[in-house]
Amino acid sequence: MIKYEHVGLRYGIGPEVLSDINFTLEPGSFHFLSGSSGAGKTSLMSLLYLGRMPTRGLIRMFGQNIGEMDRDQLAAMRQRVGVVFQDFRLLNHMSAFDNVALPLRIQGRAEKEIQNNVGELLDWVGLGEHKHVLPNTMSGGQQQRVAIARAVITRPRLLLADEPTGNLDDEIGFRLMALFDQLNRMGTTVVIATHNQAIMDKFSHKRLVLDKGHLRVEEPKASAMRKRLEGVF
Amino acid sequence: MKFKMPSFNNPLNRDKTLGVAKGKRRYDLPLTGSTSNGFLRLLIGLMAVLGMLALCASFALSAMTQRWVDGLENKVTVEIPAADSGGDTIAPGIVRSMTDDAAKVLMGHPDVSEAKIMEDDEIKELLAPWLGHDMVMDSIPIPGLISVTFESGKTPDLEDILIQIRDVAPQARIDTHESWLSDVMRFTGALQFAAILLTLIIGATTLVAVAGGVRSKLSENKEELELLHLMGASDSYIARQLQRHTLILSLQGGAAGVIAGGVLLFIISMVAGKIGVNLVPDFRLDGVQKAMLFLMPIPIALLAMATARFTVLRVLGKMP
Repeated sequence: MIKYEHVGLRYGIGPEVLSDINFTLEPGSFHFLSGSSGAGKTSLMSLLYLGRMPTRGLIRMFGQNIGEMDRDQLAAMRQRVGVVFQDFRLLNHMSAFDNVALPLRIQGRAEKEIQNNVGELLDWVGLGEHKHVLPNTMSGGQQQRVAIARAVITRPRLLLADEPTGNLDDEIGFRLMALFDQLNRMGTTVVIATHNQAIMDKFSHKRLVLDKGHLRVEEPKASAMRKRLEGVF
Repeated sequence: MKFKMPSFNNPLNRDKTLGVAKGKRRYDLPLTGSTSNGFLRLLIGLMAVLGMLALCASFALSAMTQRWVDGLENKVTVEIPAADSGGDTIAPGIVRSMTDDAAKVLMGHPDVSEAKIMEDDEIKELLAPWLGHDMVMDSIPIPGLISVTFESGKTPDLEDILIQIRDVAPQARIDTHESWLSDVMRFTGALQFAAILLTLIIGATTLVAVAGGVRSKLSENKEELELLHLMGASDSYIARQLQRHTLILSLQGGAAGVIAGGVLLFIISMVAGKIGVNLVPDFRLDGVQKAMLFLMPIPIALLAMATARFTVLRVLGKMP
């Protein structure tokens, strides 16, 4: 589904921040992306959501070589990827409803469908009463839920989240992970960039570990906690 | 029973209530409410005023030229010099007699509809700018002048007419005004070219200013722009929003400019009339000219819109 072969990335004429990256994300898989600060997590995430193009190597997404796509095809490809940014990146001049509706409007969906789907999703993430509220007057947790709703409203085939539990306490972090787990079970491929060891230990998923620009794939550790969590959520 | 006032939600009041946004969403980018919007409106308004002035000047010049050309159409002036071939002055009475004879010859010609001898007062008026109003006609040799009007549609043989006149006035000359008219035409042509050049400069300035405004707006909303791009918005989708925004601002600015320009033109015509500077006394804009001035904001706005689109696509083209 998503395949990286000998991918490298450098900024300008600087050294490669990602070197010889090779991995495959199978449809419906769940991966953690980890690594110390400066290891290249943000750079790899930006390649995954097509915010940057690799300086070398081959990337295939959903069966297509992104190096051979024109600008409109790349735009269409980005519509199949949902992203939860670390700083949420909500548009403060529009309501929570409009923020969540934005990906659908970009896709040119009918307004009636937008009204139904967005309303339903905002109810699902517990913000049904806040749909007309501007993001900058919401709490951090509410903003995060809006950001997640916006990322999943189009039922993306790939969901990326950059440090989604970064500013949350463990309990809310686990709840959020359970939400991603639920989306994954519905068929969405999920990649979560995190350095939260506790979260990674409690959810037995494959890990993409970056170290000084090089990537290795680690198999999940057996975890009894996952089964317990499945019972809780 | 208590009367309850019905509440009305004014969609234009969106964003005014802190933290709550109701009403119709207009743009994905925060384009409304920016201070640069006022600047763009003002700029387009000023350009529309300047454009109107240039266009009006061009219309007036065109009317003035046409008036002169029409005034001299089918007309020549026959001059009976007040000096003979040797340079000796001819007595005024003889000049007058030769002039009368020449006029009779002209009136007898089938192509001539009128041959009018210019009286001393008229000649005095013509010479006044050079010789002053207090000149004594008898003290200087004054030529005889005959204003000749030909039948419309006729192309008289001037050589033949001159031969006939010279039978009665051997030194007679025919002035077709060609040299004077061509000088005037060259001058007004240069002025019209200057007006067109000015219009082009105004247009170019508008394009540069709009492109700068759009670039500044994109830079101001860089994060939002990048977000839309990452969410899969195509370049055209983003460009359409900036295009529409620029079109609306330009139409607003242009409309204000046309109103201001209209008032300014009215004031200029009043002032010019009062101080006697009026080369085209009965100049009035015709329907087409009025429409061109009134509709001027439309091409300006379309040009601004196209510039906005081009600028946005160039900026977006630098994104992956």
